[in-house]
Amino acid sequence: MDVIQIERLEAFYGDMQALFGVSLGLRAGETFALVGANGAGKSTLMRALVGLVRDRRGHIRLGGEELIATSPEQIARAGIALVPEGRQLFASLTVEENLQMGAMNRRRGPWDLEAIYGLFPVLRERRRQMAVTMSGGQQQMVAIGRALMANPRVLLCDELSLGLAPVIVSQIYDSFARIRAEGMSMIIVEQDIERAIAVSDRMACLLHGQVTLRVEDTARVDIDALSAAYFGE
Amino acid sequence: MVWVETVLNGIFLGGLYGILGLGLALVFGVMKVINVAHGDFIVLSAFIGVFLSAAVPGVSPLLIILPVVAIAAGLGWAFQSVLMNRVIDSDDMLVPMLLTFGVSFVMRNIMLETFGATPVTLEAGALSRASFQVAGLHLGVLPVLTLAISVVLFGGLNWLITRTEIGRVIRATSDNTAIARLMGVRPGRIYALVMALSLALAAVAGLLLAMRTSFTPSSGIDRILIAFEVVVLGGLGSFWGALLAGIALGVTQLVGFRFDANSGLLYAHLLFLAFLIARPNGLFGSK
Ligand SMILES: Nc1ncnc2c1ncn2[C@@H]1O[C@H](COP(=O)(O)OP(=O)(O)OP(=O)(O)O)[C@@H](O)[C@H]1O
Ligand SMILES: [Mg+2]
Repeated sequence: MDVIQIERLEAFYGDMQALFGVSLGLRAGETFALVGANGAGKSTLMRALVGLVRDRRGHIRLGGEELIATSPEQIARAGIALVPEGRQLFASLTVEENLQMGAMNRRRGPWDLEAIYGLFPVLRERRRQMAVTMSGGQQQMVAIGRALMANPRVLLCDELSLGLAPVIVSQIYDSFARIRAEGMSMIIVEQDIERAIAVSDRMACLLHGQVTLRVEDTARVDIDALSAAYFGE
Repeated sequence: MVWVETVLNGIFLGGLYGILGLGLALVFGVMKVINVAHGDFIVLSAFIGVFLSAAVPGVSPLLIILPVVAIAAGLGWAFQSVLMNRVIDSDDMLVPMLLTFGVSFVMRNIMLETFGATPVTLEAGALSRASFQVAGLHLGVLPVLTLAISVVLFGGLNWLITRTEIGRVIRATSDNTAIARLMGVRPGRIYALVMALSLALAAVAGLLLAMRTSFTPSSGIDRILIAFEVVVLGGLGSFWGALLAGIALGVTQLVGFRFDANSGLLYAHLLFLAFLIARPNGLFGSK
């Protein structure tokens, strides 16, 4: 069975509808990529899954448990963690304090401070520094570490590469091998299509709040169909 | 010598003013709400203190502080959970403040109805008259004790906020409430806790102040005015800034009093006004 099942998900900002019946399933241990143009609704989907977009309809089932009417804090406890777009670290907290915030739910699992410092050794050196004074790449590491500290069943990553140099992006994605090895199921949003194809098992393309293409095996992706789905031609 | 004593007494009083502002600053720092009823909670605590010390005569007023602080904390928790949390997510920042304004009004009238308008003081007995001499200076025990309590409270709150898990959660909630919820934090609970802390501090200040000067159900206005000046002078959200601002106001008030016995808080308010013009972002704020 899928870890997370999304069925006919709709999301609204006031009168404006941003998602129109999105259905997706995430298999245990897989990495699923979401691509799409600016404003397609990728972040809205991520934020609806964790309850930050409150006005939502349809079904979100985590291991069979319905979460569509659940508060963000309960969803967090149920086991979905988000690395938000733009990192959104706590500005008055140090690196280590930011990481500790991730563990507030006391969910058990392989990820604790030691494991995060093992994954990103630079964070150990800087653990007493205010998180927002670090470089963009290091801040992204804190954001990933903070989400992992929750030992979630599903990890959502929204545009990790935003505003980062390509070398740094590669370093960050290198760490994903370790995260996958621990059995994490992930949905990642990525603007860079080649990168998305490289890191994911399956993917979907979103446009105007709807799924316009599903790729069941990213090793055999039809680039023409993908670019048509991406730009809506 | 008289002048040194005056300045020292101003510093002692200023510590108290600092705590008046501290509770207000804490709530503003975390929730971005100015609790207009802060002064009325201070006065209510003082009335509860007067009531308790009449009920159990002979108990030192310093011991009375403990139950009153507990009651004030409970009131703060209830005030936040039952009333404030309903409007705290409002898009309009004025809504929560208007609610505190309404609560202030209701509280003042209930207190007038219950306790009447005659000024009362919290009888501190021998303690209020006790004094000692150092280096030729004549100092009261109560004022010195007041400053000591202030410094301990400032240090304690600073420790709580910067060193403990609960402090970390309070800071995180204040930084980014939505993201804190993604970590499982229930903001309503944190807000209730912060309001409980704020009113507990208010209670200490209220009782210590009630031992020095008489008060009526309408004294809340004077109290919140000082609290407000302390918060703004100290720079919004700065703890130690609030203590220094309180001291600046206390010293100005007592020195002003030496020149002009009828001045009351006039010079303290003038100092505030002058600072507001010179440094709109507070003592330590960036220009
Ligand atoms: N807070 C908001 N209030 C109102 N409308 C919003 C809000 N956030 C997003 N939208 C709108 O919802 C639609 C989807 O936005 P969303 O941020 O989900 O897109 P995205 O795919 O993540 O884009 P990007 O690649 O730029 O991050 C857009 O039309 C956007 O303008
Ligand atoms: Mg986005």
